[in-house]
Amino acid sequence: MHKLRHSNIGRLMFFITVGILLFLASNRVDELRVYQGATLAMYVIAISSLILLTGYSGQVSLGHGALLAIGGYSAALAHNYFSFPIWLCFIVAILVAAAAGAVLGTAAARLSGPYLAGTTLALAVGLPSIANQFGFLGGEQGLLFDVGMPPARLGATFSPYKWYFWIAGVTALIAIWSLQNILRSRFGRTWRAVRDNEVAAELVGIHVGKAKTLAFTVSAGLAGLAGALLAMTISTVSPSAFPLALSFSLLTGAVLSGVTSLPGVMIGAVTLVATPEIADAITSRFATSDNVTTNLPGLLVSALLVLVVLLVPNGPAEQVRRIRSRRSASTHR
Amino acid sequence: MFQLINTFLIGITSGSIYSLMAIALVLVWRSTRVVNFAQAGQALLSTYIGFEFIQRFHSFWIALVLSMIFGALISALVDLVFMRLLFSRNTQGPIAGVAPIIATLGLLGLIRAGIGMVLGSTDANIRPPVSNVGFTISGHTLAFSPLKLLIVSATLVLVLVLSLIFQRTNIGLALRASAYAPEIARLAGVRVDGIRTLGWALAGAAGAAAGMLQTPNGTGALSSDSLEFSLLLVFGFIAAVIGGLESLVGAVIGGLLLGLVLAFVLTYISGSLVFITAFVVLILVLLIRPSGLIGTKRGRRA
Amino acid sequence: MIGMNRRKFLVASAVIATSSLALAGVPAQAFSPHYEVGVTSTTIKLGITLPMSGAASPGYKKIPGGMKAYFDYVNANGGVNGRKITLVVKDDAYTPTSSVQKTNELILKDKVFALVGALGTANNKAVAASVSPARRGIPDLFVNTGYSGFAVKKTYPTTFSLFPSYIMEAKIMAQYIKETYPGKKLGLLYQADDFGRDALAGFKTAGLNFDIKVPYAPLSQGVSGVPATWITKLATAGAQVVVLFGVSSATAAALYAAYVGKFGPKRILGSVGGDATTILGAGVPAPLLNGVETASFIPAPSDTTDEYVKLFQTINTKYNTSAPVDKVFDNNILAGMNTAFITVQAIAAVGRNLTRKGLITAIEKKGTTFASAGLSPMAVSATSHVGYTGYWFGTYDATATIKPNGGVYTVYTTDSGTGAVVKSKYKRPAMPTNGLPTTK
Repeated sequence: MHKLRHSNIGRLMFFITVGILLFLASNRVDELRVYQGATLAMYVIAISSLILLTGYSGQVSLGHGALLAIGGYSAALAHNYFSFPIWLCFIVAILVAAAAGAVLGTAAARLSGPYLAGTTLALAVGLPSIANQFGFLGGEQGLLFDVGMPPARLGATFSPYKWYFWIAGVTALIAIWSLQNILRSRFGRTWRAVRDNEVAAELVGIHVGKAKTLAFTVSAGLAGLAGALLAMTISTVSPSAFPLALSFSLLTGAVLSGVTSLPGVMIGAVTLVATPEIADAITSRFATSDNVTTNLPGLLVSALLVLVVLLVPNGPAEQVRRIRSRRSASTHR
Repeated sequence: MFQLINTFLIGITSGSIYSLMAIALVLVWRSTRVVNFAQAGQALLSTYIGFEFIQRFHSFWIALVLSMIFGALISALVDLVFMRLLFSRNTQGPIAGVAPIIATLGLLGLIRAGIGMVLGSTDANIRPPVSNVGFTISGHTLAFSPLKLLIVSATLVLVLVLSLIFQRTNIGLALRASAYAPEIARLAGVRVDGIRTLGWALAGAAGAAAGMLQTPNGTGALSSDSLEFSLLLVFGFIAAVIGGLESLVGAVIGGLLLGLVLAFVLTYISGSLVFITAFVVLILVLLIRPSGLIGTKRGRRA
Repeated sequence: MIGMNRRKFLVASAVIATSSLALAGVPAQAFSPHYEVGVTSTTIKLGITLPMSGAASPGYKKIPGGMKAYFDYVNANGGVNGRKITLVVKDDAYTPTSSVQKTNELILKDKVFALVGALGTANNKAVAASVSPARRGIPDLFVNTGYSGFAVKKTYPTTFSLFPSYIMEAKIMAQYIKETYPGKKLGLLYQADDFGRDALAGFKTAGLNFDIKVPYAPLSQGVSGVPATWITKLATAGAQVVVLFGVSSATAAALYAAYVGKFGPKRILGSVGGDATTILGAGVPAPLLNGVETASFIPAPSDTTDEYVKLFQTINTKYNTSAPVDKVFDNNILAGMNTAFITVQAIAAVGRNLTRKGLITAIEKKGTTFASAGLSPMAVSATSHVGYTGYWFGTYDATATIKPNGGVYTVYTTDSGTGAVVKSKYKRPAMPTNGLPTTK
């Protein structure tokens, strides 16, 4: 028990250290990188939300973009109509998305793999068009979500993007820290038990349906937070900001991260941010036709996804862990 | 009155097209327990191949047959190269159940990007083999044409032939046995792997037929980032899920139900409710019957 | 186990931090201090974001080819005040998230002098709010959207519209229909979002009532069977004149569905969905466009009696480096070249001492006098950033070639408010010699 508390404090210190490092880094890099850093933080949260769902409770969501959209719109509405401060908008985003997740999760707990995949896919296709049905959601143009300029005491050179990056970075660190604690708690163990063997979990008295619904709810709350951050980085929410492609790329990010490992989440997030740039670099180096240029990012992401699923299905991080545990097992022998 | 009849006819025709895609998804699901999202890419590729053959032979019918054959080959190849490797490497672990879905999504992206790179600037267009202009009855034009008659009957013929294969032939028995009890089938001397590949091939042919018939029923244009094929996949999948994923008849019922509900909602309530309606129909069906209309009640784990 | 995870996390974070630092190591370009960003003594760099891939790209992806061709033509003839123009094109696949990212790259990495012709309403709104060219003082020229808000200088101080707004278009179309088809039963197909709602507002302001209005969800035109339901509704209501106010793919689907449903009313297309090459590219046979009307603010792309069209066609043949399918001269290329043409006019008007501020002032002060292919006047001023204000109507023939109704361009003009629609007496200024900017 004492040891556990100790490691908790250690973890907290670790996250604080990372935060300070990120802050220092934000002063050293140019504005474009800072902006990408904010996007990266958003992806980190969105992907860990999927990892929680898929890797820890064995459910699949092809429509996570829809949950991000719910979060983004909630935050924007809270800000525009009720003039809530930004942190409260984020909490509203989490709560509303979690509520939607609870409803969806209740339905999802009854559905097995392909049916759940179908439902979430249909949700991702159907939900954005709701924005066009109701005037207060701003239609295709969407809503403004302006978190405002950075506080004056941070200095005149402190750009809005650095401000976004700070907000997103701190939010991501808090989110990941809380998620890690949840996963280490009784809930985390319950979810893993359900994922590994539903029947066995039921035998030891776990209410499988409840566990799944809860996982979906927490995951949706995180997705909502990511949606609010996404809305912040582009200062608007609109239906076209949450295309089906977003849901798919989040899934790609989760697979690349290794769906069972939270620490690997950076790999997925960095890949999603970096792929378009790598594609850009390739096409500018080898001046190619328009067809190649426009299709290269898609090709790279898809190829990576296929390769990872085929070669390291549980993600690179998981693979390393397995090799190590195999090695340590053999030394024990 | 004619509006009512036309709405019904529109629902039947579009429902048949969703059904064709749903059949393709069901065939793969039955043989390997995989939802094949790459089906949209395979169908698009097969339809491009069909277009090339139309250029060469100036006959839609020859091209349709060849496109279905190539569709079957492509699909079989996907299973042989891709799925077998996936299943041999990825039988356990936390995402074993989810990996195939993700893999086929990746494959879909690969096929689309590939087509875009190679054929992105091709001006491809498929004209209907028979007239698509509606029949006229006492001065009123029906939303039904020789081409649409062809689509509806092709769907019926396909589902009939497939059902006969499954119910009446030894291959059909082997297909069913491999799907439901692979170990027992293997013990009984069925070459389970080969039979599964056959399931994929049949699905590839059905998907190619869906692409070749849907394209000329619309404006006829093909493009690598075709919206029509993405939506065909989504609506075909919804139809398959409504029908319970297990049954060919279920796929057709799911497709027709979706087509009819959509047509009536669009005509009589509002034209802007397409995607919401599809979602609501799916949710309603799954809330009442979590494993689809025709799916068996006992819980199936993917 | 815990320690190992943490170590990996640490390693991963360290890798990220260092790699992003390394990537960011490129120093700011070593421009002489007295030139504005994106300008050297011999070059000017401009940037554009638009969908070059994805469902929205057909038609639009031809625009940059046209723009580049005109810039290259000017460059080959000495440039603008001795500077050659390059255009950096970024594909945003029509997603606002991507538009913001790519615009950031244009401004922060490519260090462009100005943005020109960025496409899409939601996209431009997201860029204006997040990237905020206004706060950075970066000119955001001639955005490619009919949303009337971008003309409001107070909200978007550095943004300039070019196209007449959707509201103007609907008002003008309403006037045209009232004059040309009095007493007919009217039908409208519109996209169920604010593009369509703007149009509805315009029709309402002009006092035009439709007997039947059919909305469609964006993208639903790609769902099998959906276009047939539109036609069934319009035909059942007995519409004799039908306005199709949607995107090109929806217009194409509606025209085809009308053909198979033997529904042949007078059809009038909105300018967004009225581009012939995009409709033909979507698979509609040319004869189906026979007798269909649409509106435009630049001359017909086939009208070789027009000095601009004639010159632009020559330039296109010689300088457009796009793939063969994407360089067939049409309305998109014509519009792209015209945008490039006005941009060059504006840059030339600033003179040798080219600054961002100077460019904005030059357009505000002299914009109404700029030569361009546009057939209606520009309304830009120091207080408003409105572009063209008018449309003419034309009819396609069986080869999908558009001819102005009555053989001459009859231009109607109006504003985005409640102003009246009037027949314009505007005389387009003559084209400068060889279409090249005159050095100031």
